Amino acid sequence: MGLNKKDILFFFGCSLFILTASFARQIKVCPDCEIRSVQKAIDIAFDGDEILIHPGVYKEHDIEITKSLTIKGIGNPVIDGENLGTVFHISANNFSLQGITIINVGKSFTKDFAGILVARSSNFLIKNVVLKNVFFGILVEKSKHGTISYNKVSSNAVSEASSGNGIHLWHCDHMQVDHNNLSGLRDGIYFEFVKESKIFKNHSYKNLRYGLHFMFSNNNAYYDNEFVSNGVGVAVMFSKFIDMRNNLFTENWGSASYGLLLKEIYDAKIENNRFTTNTVGVSVDGSTRVNFEGNTFARNGWAINVIGACYENTFTGNNFMHNSFDLAHSGNVNSNSFDKNYWSDYTGYDLDGNGIGDVPYRPVKLFSYITNRSPEAIVLLRSLFVDIINFSEKVSPVFTPDNLMDPNPLMKAAL
Amino acid sequence: MVIIRNLFYILVLFLLTGCEVQPVPIEFGKEECSFCKMTIVDRQHAAQLVTKKGKQFKYDAIECMLNDLNEKQNTQENKIYLVSDYGKSKMTTAEDATYLISQAIKSPMGAFLSAFSSNAEATSVMTKSGGEVYNWQEIKKKYGIE
Repeated sequence: MGLNKKDILFFFGCSLFILTASFARQIKVCPDCEIRSVQKAIDIAFDGDEILIHPGVYKEHDIEITKSLTIKGIGNPVIDGENLGTVFHISANNFSLQGITIINVGKSFTKDFAGILVARSSNFLIKNVVLKNVFFGILVEKSKHGTISYNKVSSNAVSEASSGNGIHLWHCDHMQVDHNNLSGLRDGIYFEFVKESKIFKNHSYKNLRYGLHFMFSNNNAYYDNEFVSNGVGVAVMFSKFIDMRNNLFTENWGSASYGLLLKEIYDAKIENNRFTTNTVGVSVDGSTRVNFEGNTFARNGWAINVIGACYENTFTGNNFMHNSFDLAHSGNVNSNSFDKNYWSDYTGYDLDGNGIGDVPYRPVKLFSYITNRSPEAIVLLRSLFVDIINFSEKVSPVFTPDNLMDPNPLMKAAL
Repeated sequence: MVIIRNLFYILVLFLLTGCEVQPVPIEFGKEECSFCKMTIVDRQHAAQLVTKKGKQFKYDAIECMLNDLNEKQNTQENKIYLVSDYGKSKMTTAEDATYLISQAIKSPMGAFLSAFSSNAEATSVMTKSGGEVYNWQEIKKKYGIE
Protein backbone atom coordinates (compact mmCIF):
# COMPACT_ATOMS: atom_id res chain seq x y z
CA MET A 1 0.00 0.00 0.00
CA GLY A 2 1.49 3.25 -1.13
CA LEU A 3 -0.36 5.65 1.06
CA ASN A 4 1.67 8.81 0.98
CA LYS A 5 1.32 11.87 3.14
CA LYS A 6 -0.87 13.65 0.58
CA ASP A 7 -3.45 10.87 0.46
CA ILE A 8 -3.71 10.71 4.21
CA LEU A 9 -4.21 14.43 4.36
CA PHE A 10 -6.92 14.23 1.72
CA PHE A 11 -8.68 11.41 3.55
CA PHE A 12 -8.47 13.33 6.80
CA GLY A 13 -9.87 16.42 5.14
CA CYS A 14 -12.76 14.48 3.66
CA SER A 15 -13.73 12.84 6.90
CA LEU A 16 -13.58 16.19 8.68
CA PHE A 17 -15.92 17.62 6.09
CA ILE A 18 -18.36 14.72 6.50
CA LEU A 19 -18.18 15.01 10.26
CA THR A 20 -19.01 18.71 10.31
CA ALA A 21 -21.76 18.20 7.75
CA SER A 22 -23.38 15.46 9.80
CA PHE A 23 -23.19 17.71 12.83
CA ALA A 24 -25.72 20.14 11.31
CA ARG A 25 -28.34 20.21 14.01
CA GLN A 26 -32.01 20.96 14.19
CA ILE A 27 -33.00 23.54 16.76
CA LYS A 28 -36.62 23.65 17.78
CA VAL A 29 -38.31 26.89 18.83
CA CYS A 30 -41.78 26.87 20.37
CA PRO A 31 -43.62 28.88 23.04
CA ASP A 32 -43.17 26.18 25.74
CA CYS A 33 -39.83 24.71 24.63
CA GLU A 34 -36.47 25.27 26.21
CA ILE A 35 -35.78 27.80 23.45
CA ARG A 36 -38.65 30.27 23.28
CA SER A 37 -37.24 33.00 21.07
CA VAL A 38 -36.04 32.97 17.50
CA GLN A 39 -33.10 35.21 18.38
CA LYS A 40 -31.91 32.78 21.05
CA ALA A 41 -32.04 29.87 18.61
CA ILE A 42 -29.98 31.87 16.14
CA ASP A 43 -27.45 32.83 18.82
CA ILE A 44 -26.70 29.21 19.73
CA ALA A 45 -26.76 27.92 16.16
CA PHE A 46 -23.73 27.23 13.97
CA ASP A 47 -23.36 27.53 10.23
CA GLY A 48 -25.44 24.89 8.49
CA ASP A 49 -27.93 24.35 11.30
CA GLU A 50 -31.66 24.20 10.79
CA ILE A 51 -34.04 26.17 12.98
CA LEU A 52 -37.62 24.96 13.13
CA ILE A 53 -40.12 27.47 14.43
CA HIS A 54 -43.29 25.86 15.72
CA PRO A 55 -46.73 27.54 15.83
CA GLY A 56 -47.13 30.49 18.16
CA VAL A 57 -46.79 34.25 18.26
CA TYR A 58 -43.26 35.50 18.87
CA LYS A 59 -43.01 39.16 19.84
CA GLU A 60 -39.59 39.97 18.50
CA HIS A 61 -37.87 42.57 16.35
CA ASP A 62 -34.32 43.36 15.30
CA ILE A 63 -33.53 39.66 14.98
CA GLU A 64 -29.92 39.47 13.75
CA ILE A 65 -28.70 36.70 11.47
CA THR A 66 -25.09 36.50 10.36
CA LYS A 67 -24.83 32.71 9.91
CA SER A 68 -25.67 30.30 7.09
CA LEU A 69 -28.89 28.94 8.54
CA THR A 70 -32.03 27.26 7.29
CA ILE A 71 -34.99 28.77 9.10
CA LYS A 72 -38.34 27.07 8.61
CA GLY A 73 -41.75 27.74 10.04
CA ILE A 74 -43.89 24.72 10.80
CA GLY A 75 -47.63 25.33 10.91
CA ASN A 76 -47.33 29.04 10.20
CA PRO A 77 -45.72 30.70 13.25
CA VAL A 78 -46.20 34.48 13.57
CA ILE A 79 -43.46 36.97 14.39
CA ASP A 80 -44.92 40.23 15.63
CA GLY A 81 -42.63 43.27 15.32
CA GLU A 82 -45.06 45.32 17.46
CA ASN A 83 -44.47 48.32 15.16
CA LEU A 84 -41.04 48.81 16.72
CA GLY A 85 -38.67 48.48 13.79
CA THR A 86 -37.14 45.99 11.40
CA VAL A 87 -37.98 42.36 12.19
CA PHE A 88 -35.12 40.40 10.53
CA HIS A 89 -31.68 41.85 9.77
CA ILE A 90 -29.83 39.30 7.67
CA SER A 91 -26.27 39.54 6.47
CA ALA A 92 -25.12 36.04 5.55
CA ASN A 93 -24.37 33.76 2.64
CA ASN A 94 -26.22 30.52 1.93
CA PHE A 95 -29.31 30.99 4.08
CA SER A 96 -33.00 30.36 3.65
CA LEU A 97 -36.10 31.65 5.37
CA GLN A 98 -39.38 29.88 4.74
CA GLY A 99 -42.94 29.43 5.89
CA ILE A 100 -43.37 32.17 8.49
CA THR A 101 -45.66 35.16 8.94
CA ILE A 102 -44.27 38.57 9.88
CA ILE A 103 -46.64 41.28 11.08
CA ASN A 104 -46.47 44.89 12.32
CA VAL A 105 -43.20 46.30 11.02
CA GLY A 106 -42.33 49.73 12.43
CA LYS A 107 -42.95 52.84 10.33
CA SER A 108 -40.59 55.78 10.15
CA PHE A 109 -40.07 58.90 8.07
CA THR A 110 -36.34 58.59 8.00
CA LYS A 111 -35.47 54.90 8.46
CA ASP A 112 -36.36 52.15 6.02
CA PHE A 113 -37.78 49.60 8.46
CA ALA A 114 -38.49 46.28 6.77
CA GLY A 115 -40.01 42.90 7.53
CA ILE A 116 -36.87 41.28 6.20
CA LEU A 117 -33.75 43.33 5.57
CA VAL A 118 -31.02 41.52 3.67
CA ALA A 119 -27.67 43.26 3.27
CA ARG A 120 -24.41 42.15 1.66
CA SER A 121 -25.55 38.56 1.22
CA SER A 122 -25.42 35.95 -1.51
CA ASN A 123 -27.07 32.62 -2.36
CA PHE A 124 -30.25 32.91 -0.38
CA LEU A 125 -33.89 31.94 -0.57
CA ILE A 126 -36.91 33.71 0.92
CA LYS A 127 -40.02 31.65 0.28
CA ASN A 128 -43.61 31.32 1.49
CA VAL A 129 -43.29 34.25 3.85
CA VAL A 130 -46.41 36.28 4.58
CA LEU A 131 -45.79 39.90 5.52
CA LYS A 132 -48.69 41.96 6.82
CA ASN A 133 -48.91 45.59 7.90
CA VAL A 134 -45.37 46.32 6.81
CA PHE A 135 -43.48 49.49 5.98
CA PHE A 136 -40.96 47.92 3.60
CA GLY A 137 -41.64 44.21 3.09
CA ILE A 138 -38.43 42.64 1.86
CA LEU A 139 -35.57 45.09 1.43
CA VAL A 140 -32.42 43.73 -0.17
CA GLU A 141 -29.24 45.80 -0.36
CA LYS A 142 -25.95 45.07 -2.13
CA SER A 143 -26.65 41.35 -2.53
CA LYS A 144 -26.58 38.79 -5.29
CA HIS A 145 -27.85 35.38 -6.38
CA GLY A 146 -30.98 35.51 -4.24
CA THR A 147 -34.43 34.10 -4.89
CA ILE A 148 -37.60 35.66 -3.51
CA SER A 149 -40.57 33.39 -4.29
CA TYR A 150 -44.17 32.75 -3.30
CA ASN A 151 -44.34 35.51 -0.70
CA LYS A 152 -47.35 37.64 0.09
CA VAL A 153 -46.73 41.24 1.11
CA SER A 154 -49.51 43.64 2.06
CA SER A 155 -49.97 46.91 3.87
CA ASN A 156 -52.35 49.85 4.10
CA ALA A 157 -50.43 52.39 2.03
CA VAL A 158 -53.48 53.57 0.14
CA SER A 159 -54.39 55.78 3.07
CA GLU A 160 -50.95 57.28 3.62
CA ALA A 161 -48.27 58.41 1.24
CA SER A 162 -45.50 57.83 3.73
CA SER A 163 -45.25 54.17 2.94
CA GLY A 164 -42.70 51.63 1.83
CA ASN A 165 -42.24 49.17 -1.01
CA GLY A 166 -43.11 45.47 -1.07
CA ILE A 167 -39.93 44.01 -2.48
CA HIS A 168 -37.21 46.61 -2.85
CA LEU A 169 -33.86 45.66 -4.37
CA TRP A 170 -31.02 48.17 -4.26
CA HIS A 171 -27.63 47.55 -5.87
CA CYS A 172 -28.23 43.85 -6.51
CA ASP A 173 -27.50 41.45 -9.33
CA HIS A 174 -28.57 37.98 -10.46
CA MET A 175 -31.76 38.03 -8.43
CA GLN A 176 -35.02 36.22 -9.09
CA VAL A 177 -38.40 37.52 -7.92
CA ASP A 178 -41.29 35.20 -8.77
CA HIS A 179 -44.81 34.19 -7.76
CA ASN A 180 -45.20 36.96 -5.19
CA ASN A 181 -48.42 38.70 -4.31
CA LEU A 182 -48.13 42.42 -3.50
CA SER A 183 -50.80 44.90 -2.51
CA GLY A 184 -51.45 48.11 -0.59
CA LEU A 185 -47.84 49.30 -0.79
CA ARG A 186 -46.06 52.29 -2.30
CA ASP A 187 -44.39 50.28 -5.10
CA GLY A 188 -45.10 46.56 -5.33
CA ILE A 189 -41.60 45.75 -6.57
CA TYR A 190 -38.83 48.33 -6.89
CA PHE A 191 -35.54 47.67 -8.69
CA GLU A 192 -32.98 50.41 -8.04
CA PHE A 193 -29.52 49.83 -9.55
CA VAL A 194 -30.26 46.14 -10.19
CA LYS A 195 -28.88 44.14 -13.09
CA GLU A 196 -29.17 40.70 -14.70
CA SER A 197 -32.32 39.83 -12.78
CA LYS A 198 -35.70 38.28 -13.54
CA ILE A 199 -39.21 39.04 -12.34
CA PHE A 200 -41.99 36.63 -13.28
CA LYS A 201 -45.49 35.43 -12.39
CA ASN A 202 -46.06 38.06 -9.74
CA HIS A 203 -49.39 39.65 -8.99
CA SER A 204 -49.11 43.31 -8.00
CA TYR A 205 -52.34 45.22 -7.35
CA LYS A 206 -53.83 48.26 -5.63
CA ASN A 207 -50.47 49.81 -4.87
CA LEU A 208 -50.29 53.51 -4.30
CA ARG A 209 -47.64 54.34 -6.86
CA TYR A 210 -46.28 51.62 -9.13
CA GLY A 211 -46.92 47.90 -9.49
CA LEU A 212 -43.32 47.50 -10.58
CA HIS A 213 -40.65 50.17 -10.78
CA PHE A 214 -37.25 50.13 -12.46
CA MET A 215 -34.79 52.92 -11.82
CA PHE A 216 -31.24 52.89 -13.22
CA SER A 217 -31.47 49.12 -13.70
CA ASN A 218 -30.08 47.54 -16.86
CA ASN A 219 -30.31 44.09 -18.45
CA ASN A 220 -33.38 42.81 -16.65
CA ALA A 221 -36.49 40.94 -17.75
CA TYR A 222 -40.03 40.72 -16.46
CA TYR A 223 -42.66 38.36 -17.85
CA ASP A 224 -46.01 36.68 -17.08
CA ASN A 225 -46.86 39.22 -14.38
CA GLU A 226 -50.19 40.90 -13.66
CA PHE A 227 -50.42 44.58 -12.74
CA VAL A 228 -53.93 45.60 -11.72
CA SER A 229 -55.33 48.90 -10.37
CA ASN A 230 -52.06 50.55 -9.41
CA GLY A 231 -51.29 54.27 -9.66
CA VAL A 232 -49.16 53.27 -12.63
CA GLY A 233 -48.86 49.61 -13.67
CA VAL A 234 -45.14 49.57 -14.37
CA ALA A 235 -42.69 52.47 -14.53
CA VAL A 236 -39.42 51.79 -16.29
CA MET A 237 -37.09 54.75 -15.93
CA PHE A 238 -33.51 55.53 -16.93
CA SER A 239 -32.76 51.90 -17.79
CA LYS A 240 -31.37 49.97 -20.74
CA PHE A 241 -31.99 46.51 -22.19
CA ILE A 242 -35.21 45.59 -20.39
CA ASP A 243 -37.34 42.73 -21.77
CA MET A 244 -41.05 42.99 -21.07
CA ARG A 245 -43.09 39.98 -22.19
CA ASN A 246 -46.56 38.46 -21.65
CA ASN A 247 -47.62 40.81 -18.89
CA LEU A 248 -51.06 42.16 -18.18
CA PHE A 249 -51.51 45.87 -17.46
CA THR A 250 -55.06 46.74 -16.52
CA GLU A 251 -57.37 49.14 -14.66
CA ASN A 252 -54.89 51.95 -14.12
CA TRP A 253 -57.27 54.89 -14.12
CA GLY A 254 -56.58 58.50 -13.15
CA SER A 255 -55.04 61.78 -14.23
CA ALA A 256 -51.44 60.58 -13.92
CA SER A 257 -52.11 56.90 -14.55
CA TYR A 258 -50.54 54.71 -17.19
CA GLY A 259 -50.36 51.00 -17.85
CA LEU A 260 -46.69 51.31 -18.63
CA LEU A 261 -44.58 54.44 -18.25
CA LEU A 262 -41.30 54.56 -20.14
CA LYS A 263 -38.96 57.41 -19.33
CA GLU A 264 -35.47 57.58 -20.86
CA ILE A 265 -35.41 53.94 -21.96
CA TYR A 266 -33.02 52.52 -24.53
CA ASP A 267 -33.04 49.20 -26.37
CA ALA A 268 -36.08 47.61 -24.77
CA LYS A 269 -38.34 44.86 -26.07
CA ILE A 270 -42.05 44.97 -25.32
CA GLU A 271 -43.70 41.83 -26.67
CA ASN A 272 -47.05 40.05 -26.33
CA ASN A 273 -48.35 42.14 -23.45
CA ARG A 274 -51.96 43.11 -22.90
CA PHE A 275 -52.92 46.68 -22.03
CA THR A 276 -56.60 46.96 -21.19
CA THR A 277 -58.75 49.72 -19.67
CA ASN A 278 -56.00 52.15 -18.70
CA THR A 279 -56.19 55.93 -18.99
CA VAL A 280 -52.99 55.69 -21.07
CA GLY A 281 -51.79 52.24 -22.16
CA VAL A 282 -48.15 53.16 -22.70
CA SER A 283 -46.53 56.54 -22.25
CA VAL A 284 -43.24 56.69 -24.15
CA ASP A 285 -41.12 59.63 -23.06
CA GLY A 286 -37.59 60.24 -24.29
CA SER A 287 -37.03 56.63 -25.33
CA THR A 288 -35.06 55.14 -28.20
CA ARG A 289 -34.92 51.76 -29.95
CA VAL A 290 -37.93 50.28 -28.18
CA ASN A 291 -39.63 47.49 -30.13
CA PHE A 292 -43.33 46.93 -29.60
CA GLU A 293 -44.42 43.65 -31.10
CA GLY A 294 -47.53 41.51 -30.75
CA ASN A 295 -49.10 43.56 -27.95
CA THR A 296 -52.83 44.11 -27.56
CA PHE A 297 -54.17 47.52 -26.57
CA ALA A 298 -57.88 47.32 -25.78
CA ARG A 299 -60.37 49.85 -24.40
CA ASN A 300 -57.80 52.40 -23.19
CA GLY A 301 -58.24 56.16 -23.21
CA TRP A 302 -55.03 56.49 -25.18
CA ALA A 303 -53.31 53.31 -26.33
CA ILE A 304 -49.95 55.01 -26.80
CA ASN A 305 -48.74 58.48 -25.95
CA VAL A 306 -45.38 59.45 -27.43
CA ILE A 307 -43.77 62.56 -25.95
CA GLY A 308 -40.33 64.11 -25.86
CA ALA A 309 -37.47 63.06 -28.06
CA CYS A 310 -38.19 59.47 -29.12
CA TYR A 311 -36.20 57.87 -31.93
CA GLU A 312 -36.21 54.61 -33.86
CA ASN A 313 -39.06 52.99 -31.97
CA THR A 314 -40.95 50.34 -33.92
CA PHE A 315 -44.55 49.18 -33.58
CA THR A 316 -45.19 45.95 -35.49
CA GLY A 317 -47.98 43.38 -35.35
CA ASN A 318 -49.85 44.98 -32.45
CA ASN A 319 -53.62 45.01 -32.03
CA PHE A 320 -55.29 48.34 -31.33
CA MET A 321 -58.86 47.57 -30.33
CA HIS A 322 -61.52 50.10 -29.40
CA ASN A 323 -59.35 52.72 -27.74
CA SER A 324 -60.66 56.29 -27.52
CA PHE A 325 -57.38 57.34 -29.13
CA ASP A 326 -54.89 54.93 -30.66
CA LEU A 327 -52.01 57.34 -30.57
CA ALA A 328 -51.07 60.76 -29.31
CA HIS A 329 -47.80 61.92 -30.76
CA SER A 330 -46.15 65.22 -30.00
CA GLY A 331 -43.33 66.49 -32.14
CA ASN A 332 -41.97 64.92 -35.28
CA VAL A 333 -42.21 61.31 -36.32
CA ASN A 334 -38.43 61.05 -35.76
CA SER A 335 -37.93 57.72 -37.50
CA ASN A 336 -40.46 55.96 -35.29
CA SER A 337 -42.33 53.47 -37.45
CA PHE A 338 -45.67 51.69 -37.50
CA ASP A 339 -46.10 48.66 -39.69
CA LYS A 340 -48.53 45.73 -40.04
CA ASN A 341 -50.63 46.52 -36.98
CA TYR A 342 -54.33 45.85 -36.61
CA TRP A 343 -56.44 48.97 -35.95
CA SER A 344 -60.10 48.43 -35.07
CA ASP A 345 -60.87 51.96 -36.34
CA TYR A 346 -59.51 51.20 -39.80
CA THR A 347 -62.19 51.64 -42.44
CA GLY A 348 -60.12 50.86 -45.54
CA TYR A 349 -60.57 47.96 -47.92
CA ASP A 350 -58.53 45.04 -49.17
CA LEU A 351 -59.32 44.48 -52.85
CA ASP A 352 -56.43 42.13 -53.54
CA GLY A 353 -57.36 39.97 -50.56
CA ASN A 354 -53.85 39.69 -49.14
CA GLY A 355 -54.97 40.54 -45.61
CA ILE A 356 -53.38 43.99 -45.73
CA GLY A 357 -55.44 47.13 -46.22
CA ASP A 358 -54.89 48.91 -49.51
CA VAL A 359 -54.83 52.42 -48.02
CA PRO A 360 -52.60 53.45 -45.10
CA TYR A 361 -54.04 54.05 -41.65
CA ARG A 362 -53.32 57.30 -39.83
CA PRO A 363 -53.47 56.58 -36.09
CA VAL A 364 -53.35 60.22 -34.94
CA LYS A 365 -56.76 61.82 -35.08
CA LEU A 366 -57.00 65.58 -35.35
CA PHE A 367 -58.85 65.68 -32.06
CA SER A 368 -56.02 63.82 -30.35
CA TYR A 369 -53.71 66.51 -31.70
CA ILE A 370 -56.00 69.19 -30.22
CA THR A 371 -56.24 67.57 -26.77
CA ASN A 372 -52.47 67.31 -26.77
CA ARG A 373 -52.32 71.09 -27.08
CA SER A 374 -55.19 71.87 -24.70
CA PRO A 375 -56.20 68.91 -22.54
CA GLU A 376 -59.46 70.59 -21.44
CA ALA A 377 -60.87 70.07 -24.94
CA ILE A 378 -61.43 66.43 -23.95
CA VAL A 379 -64.97 67.36 -22.83
CA LEU A 380 -65.90 67.58 -26.52
CA LEU A 381 -65.07 63.92 -27.09
CA ARG A 382 -67.94 61.95 -28.66
CA SER A 383 -69.56 65.09 -30.06
CA LEU A 384 -70.67 65.32 -33.69
CA PHE A 385 -68.38 68.28 -34.26
CA VAL A 386 -65.34 66.23 -33.28
CA ASP A 387 -66.40 63.42 -35.62
CA ILE A 388 -66.64 65.93 -38.43
CA ILE A 389 -63.20 67.48 -37.89
CA ASN A 390 -61.66 64.04 -37.51
CA PHE A 391 -63.23 62.99 -40.77
CA SER A 392 -62.11 66.08 -42.63
CA GLU A 393 -58.58 65.66 -41.32
CA LYS A 394 -58.59 62.03 -42.41
CA VAL A 395 -59.61 63.04 -45.93
CA SER A 396 -56.97 65.76 -46.20
CA PRO A 397 -54.35 65.81 -43.43
CA VAL A 398 -53.31 69.34 -42.56
CA PHE A 399 -52.31 69.37 -38.90
CA THR A 400 -51.25 65.81 -38.19
CA PRO A 401 -47.83 64.71 -39.46
CA ASP A 402 -48.24 63.41 -42.98
CA ASN A 403 -45.81 60.52 -42.67
CA LEU A 404 -47.15 59.28 -39.32
CA MET A 405 -49.04 56.27 -40.58
CA ASP A 406 -49.21 52.52 -40.81
CA PRO A 407 -48.67 51.77 -44.53
CA ASN A 408 -49.73 48.13 -44.17
CA PRO A 409 -52.63 47.91 -41.70
CA LEU A 410 -53.86 44.38 -41.09
CA MET A 411 -57.47 43.52 -41.94
CA LYS A 412 -57.74 41.00 -39.10
CA ALA A 413 -56.37 41.12 -35.56
CA ALA A 414 -53.12 39.24 -35.18
CA LEU A 415 -53.30 36.51 -32.60
CA MET B 1 -76.70 98.75 -5.52
CA VAL B 2 -75.30 97.00 -2.46
CA ILE B 3 -75.40 93.68 -4.24
CA ILE B 4 -73.55 95.08 -7.21
CA ARG B 5 -70.92 96.63 -4.96
CA ASN B 6 -70.46 93.34 -3.11
CA LEU B 7 -70.18 91.49 -6.37
CA PHE B 8 -67.53 93.98 -7.43
CA TYR B 9 -65.55 93.32 -4.25
CA ILE B 10 -65.81 89.59 -4.77
CA LEU B 11 -64.60 90.01 -8.34
CA VAL B 12 -61.62 92.08 -7.16
CA LEU B 13 -60.85 89.43 -4.55
CA PHE B 14 -60.89 86.73 -7.22
CA LEU B 15 -58.54 88.71 -9.41
CA LEU B 16 -56.14 89.26 -6.54
CA THR B 17 -56.06 85.61 -5.42
CA GLY B 18 -55.67 84.51 -9.00
CA CYS B 19 -52.49 86.57 -9.36
CA GLU B 20 -50.89 85.60 -6.08
CA VAL B 21 -47.45 84.04 -6.48
CA GLN B 22 -47.67 81.34 -3.84
CA PRO B 23 -46.61 77.73 -3.43
CA VAL B 24 -49.43 75.21 -3.04
CA PRO B 25 -49.34 72.09 -0.89
CA ILE B 26 -48.26 68.98 -2.80
CA GLU B 27 -50.83 66.20 -2.91
CA PHE B 28 -48.58 63.28 -2.04
CA GLY B 29 -49.38 60.07 -3.82
CA LYS B 30 -51.45 61.86 -6.48
CA GLU B 31 -49.29 64.37 -8.34
CA GLU B 32 -46.38 63.57 -10.58
CA CYS B 33 -42.95 65.16 -10.65
CA SER B 34 -42.58 67.90 -13.26
CA PHE B 35 -39.18 66.57 -14.25
CA CYS B 36 -39.04 62.78 -13.95
CA LYS B 37 -42.79 61.99 -13.95
CA MET B 38 -42.60 59.82 -10.85
CA THR B 39 -45.52 60.14 -8.50
CA ILE B 40 -44.51 62.30 -5.55
CA VAL B 41 -44.63 60.26 -2.34
CA ASP B 42 -41.58 61.13 -0.30
CA ARG B 43 -42.28 63.92 2.19
CA GLN B 44 -38.59 64.01 3.11
CA HIS B 45 -37.33 64.93 -0.35
CA ALA B 46 -40.06 66.71 -2.32
CA ALA B 47 -39.41 70.19 -3.72
CA GLN B 48 -41.37 72.96 -5.34
CA LEU B 49 -40.63 76.08 -7.32
CA VAL B 50 -42.94 78.97 -8.15
CA THR B 51 -42.28 81.21 -11.14
CA LYS B 52 -42.74 84.98 -11.08
CA LYS B 53 -45.94 84.44 -13.06
CA GLY B 54 -47.25 82.18 -10.29
CA LYS B 55 -46.95 78.76 -11.90
CA GLN B 56 -45.96 76.00 -9.51
CA PHE B 57 -43.63 73.16 -10.46
CA LYS B 58 -43.54 70.21 -8.08
CA TYR B 59 -40.75 67.66 -7.81
CA ASP B 60 -40.41 64.31 -6.08
CA ALA B 61 -36.78 65.00 -5.22
CA ILE B 62 -34.53 68.00 -4.75
CA GLU B 63 -32.20 66.62 -7.44
CA CYS B 64 -35.13 66.71 -9.88
CA MET B 65 -35.65 70.42 -9.25
CA LEU B 66 -31.92 71.07 -9.67
CA ASN B 67 -31.73 68.96 -12.85
CA ASP B 68 -34.76 70.79 -14.22
CA LEU B 69 -33.14 74.16 -13.45
CA ASN B 70 -29.97 72.95 -15.11
CA GLU B 71 -31.90 72.03 -18.24
CA LYS B 72 -33.93 75.24 -18.39
CA GLN B 73 -31.30 77.68 -17.02
CA ASN B 74 -34.10 80.12 -16.18
CA THR B 75 -33.45 81.09 -12.56
CA GLN B 76 -34.30 84.72 -13.32
CA GLU B 77 -37.91 83.66 -14.11
CA ASN B 78 -38.44 81.96 -10.75
CA LYS B 79 -39.44 83.49 -7.47
CA ILE B 80 -39.83 80.86 -4.77
CA TYR B 81 -37.87 77.66 -4.18
CA LEU B 82 -38.98 75.22 -1.50
CA VAL B 83 -37.33 72.00 -0.37
CA SER B 84 -38.40 69.40 2.20
CA ASP B 85 -36.85 69.79 5.60
CA TYR B 86 -35.44 66.30 6.21
CA GLY B 87 -37.04 64.47 9.11
CA LYS B 88 -39.69 67.12 9.70
CA SER B 89 -42.26 66.52 6.93
CA LYS B 90 -42.51 70.20 6.08
CA MET B 91 -41.09 72.51 3.45
CA THR B 92 -38.45 75.16 3.99
CA THR B 93 -36.98 77.90 1.78
CA ALA B 94 -34.27 76.50 -0.43
CA GLU B 95 -32.00 79.55 -0.24
CA ASP B 96 -31.56 79.23 3.55
CA ALA B 97 -31.34 75.45 3.72
CA THR B 98 -28.23 73.33 4.17
CA TYR B 99 -27.81 70.42 1.78
CA LEU B 100 -26.29 67.07 2.63
CA ILE B 101 -25.11 64.44 0.19
CA SER B 102 -24.60 61.31 2.26
CA GLN B 103 -24.69 57.66 1.21
CA ALA B 104 -26.57 56.98 4.45
CA ILE B 105 -29.72 58.78 3.28
CA LYS B 106 -31.25 57.63 0.02
CA SER B 107 -33.23 60.10 -2.05
CA PRO B 108 -35.86 59.24 -4.70
CA MET B 109 -33.66 59.79 -7.75
CA GLY B 110 -30.49 58.24 -6.46
CA ALA B 111 -28.54 61.42 -5.66
CA PHE B 112 -28.45 60.85 -1.87
CA LEU B 113 -29.38 64.52 -1.49
CA SER B 114 -31.36 65.90 1.46
CA ALA B 115 -32.00 69.39 2.79
CA PHE B 116 -32.12 70.69 6.38
CA SER B 117 -33.47 73.99 7.65
CA SER B 118 -30.94 73.84 10.45
CA ASN B 119 -27.27 73.98 9.55
CA ALA B 120 -26.34 72.41 12.89
CA GLU B 121 -28.55 69.39 12.24
CA ALA B 122 -27.10 68.85 8.77
CA THR B 123 -23.60 68.99 10.17
CA SER B 124 -24.41 66.60 13.01
CA VAL B 125 -25.94 64.07 10.59
CA MET B 126 -22.85 64.45 8.44
CA THR B 127 -20.47 63.76 11.31
CA LYS B 128 -22.56 60.72 12.28
CA SER B 129 -23.08 59.11 8.88
CA GLY B 130 -20.56 60.78 6.60
CA GLY B 131 -21.05 62.85 3.49
CA GLU B 132 -20.64 66.46 2.48
CA VAL B 133 -22.66 69.61 3.17
CA TYR B 134 -23.43 72.42 0.74
CA ASN B 135 -25.29 75.71 0.87
CA TRP B 136 -27.76 76.80 -1.83
CA GLN B 137 -25.14 78.52 -3.99
CA GLU B 138 -22.78 75.56 -3.76
CA ILE B 139 -25.41 72.96 -4.58
CA LYS B 140 -26.61 75.03 -7.55
CA LYS B 141 -23.05 75.20 -8.79
CA LYS B 142 -22.66 71.46 -8.36
CA TYR B 143 -25.69 70.95 -10.61
CA GLY B 144 -24.42 73.46 -13.17
CA ILE B 145 -27.08 76.11 -12.63
CA GLU B 146 -26.12 79.69 -13.42
